Amino acid sequence: MRDVFLIAQFELFRAIRTWRAVALVLLYAVATIGAGYLFANAIGLAEKALAESLGVAATEVPGAMMDDLIASDGFMEVLRAMVGSTDGAERLMEVPLAAIFHLWLGFLLVPFFAASASAESIAIDMNNRAIRFEALRTSRMALVLGRFAGQLTLTGVASLAAALCMWGTVMWMMVVQEPVALAGWLGWYTVRTWCFAVPFVGFGVACSQWTTSAAWARVMAVGGTAGSWVLYGIAQVMIEEDWFPMVADVLVQVLPQGWIRGMWDPGTGWILSCIVCVGLGLSSLLFGYVRFARRDL
Amino acid sequence: MTAALTFQGVTKRFGLRGGKLALDALSFTIPAGSITGFVGPNGAGKTTTFGVVSGFLQPDAGTVDILGEGPFDPMRLKGRLGVLPQDAELPDRHTPLELLTHLACLQGMSRADARTEAERLIKLVRLDDRKDHRITTLSHGMRRRVAVASALCGSPQLVLLDEPLAGLDPSQAYSLRDRLAELRGVQTLVVSSHNLAEVERLCDHVVMVQDGRCLREGPMAQLTGADEVSRWQLARVLGPTELSTLQEVLPPSATLRMDGVVLEVRSAVQEDEATTVAMLGALAAAGVPLTSLARGVGLERRFLDDQEASSA
Repeated sequence: MRDVFLIAQFELFRAIRTWRAVALVLLYAVATIGAGYLFANAIGLAEKALAESLGVAATEVPGAMMDDLIASDGFMEVLRAMVGSTDGAERLMEVPLAAIFHLWLGFLLVPFFAASASAESIAIDMNNRAIRFEALRTSRMALVLGRFAGQLTLTGVASLAAALCMWGTVMWMMVVQEPVALAGWLGWYTVRTWCFAVPFVGFGVACSQWTTSAAWARVMAVGGTAGSWVLYGIAQVMIEEDWFPMVADVLVQVLPQGWIRGMWDPGTGWILSCIVCVGLGLSSLLFGYVRFARRDL
Repeated sequence: MTAALTFQGVTKRFGLRGGKLALDALSFTIPAGSITGFVGPNGAGKTTTFGVVSGFLQPDAGTVDILGEGPFDPMRLKGRLGVLPQDAELPDRHTPLELLTHLACLQGMSRADARTEAERLIKLVRLDDRKDHRITTLSHGMRRRVAVASALCGSPQLVLLDEPLAGLDPSQAYSLRDRLAELRGVQTLVVSSHNLAEVERLCDHVVMVQDGRCLREGPMAQLTGADEVSRWQLARVLGPTELSTLQEVLPPSATLRMDGVVLEVRSAVQEDEATTVAMLGALAAAGVPLTSLARGVGLERRFLDDQEASSA
């Protein structure tokens, strides 16, 4: 365990000193700010439309009519589309809208960030054989787990930075009744975003174990992540149309996206989804390890 | 003789069937406490051998025994095996101090001990003034010194150094060679190098490889013939009378031969100090100045002869 911790720490330092990882974190943060900006504007437009329909004066700053907006039918429709179920949407009525949007955005962006950043964790060092310095001193399993843990920490830092960016953007652009509560929800949802990232970090590190080319590992990781969304979409269609229900069911169980619905649960239901996501991440990691354990370094 | 490293019929092939055979049933033994030169032409299998010992490469057949612990196992050999890989780049986002501290920690040292060890190694390879600079900003020679330091980290029992002096300037090479020589009898060093003069100066045991096979192995003196032959370079050619005078001071088994101005003395037993002094006295009495004295045929000559014989 000590070796895993040491490797993880070293990996984290390496990652934050590599411009690609820093660029990816910044990109994620900027994307969050951009999305937060669009979100605030969309709320502003929705409030304007609502004010017109109610025959009251529209507000200058978005967020002032949030209670009325949440009570409207249109809002419920949007929430249902984001969460995927009426029941889930109803249970989220207490949660600040910005936090819900942040979690939804995280589910969309974090997989790509996590897979892309972690794809170079091992391949790059196999390519220039720098991995030999550590491989001489610890087991290959500790090496892989350490790199995985380092990348998970990096993803956690990026997710936290994104939450801060979202909070800042919303505070700057909107009227927020309870800034501390919003920060709390954003922080709490960051944990879920991070858990959802685990399978993608595992997949990225797995790709990194299969090839010595960092570029190829990144293509595999990002391509695989995009492919998982496509597969999930296909599985949804299969379920709706009742095509090969068993195959569709298996697909939904083994794809992290199949567990998003559980992640929305405001109670304790999300914990099971997180545990499954961690399991999927470790399974992906082991899939890569099958090759790495036996390969020449 | 206790063995620090034993190879028995080790075979390694790169690629699938028909791929390059890098090690062809390679067998040799490295005595504990020795400084062994591991020599051979390009593509002989030296780096592959080091890779197999370090667990970087998986052998296809044969057995490897490292320090009596069997084949490479990072946990059993933690801190007991040091390796300077020839073609591995250092993780260059860190400083030498950070990297060496990290590697020492991985060898099982506490953070404080690891830091002390890293500082010691940095002094050893004379990088004190660059210890806090990122490795990416260091020159090739400096990086090489960091890599050498990593191999010596924690004073491991067995150290494999693949071309340790390559890329170092003469003063750095001299200093490092001296430091390595000081480790004789304390640690077992295996040094791979193309510079045979350097190997001959530093090592007391040699393993010669070619085409993945062991061509010859044994103590340096035995391999170079230092026990059997001495070459006396004189200022002039000796006449038959002078030669017979010299023959009288030598043991009866010794034979003399003039090769230009070089007097070659061959003997079944090693020349003792008294014989050398008597030879010097006889030459002085004959008024023949001695230009230089060399024992054996030299590793380079032996290597080239063996290579020629092997290809014939």
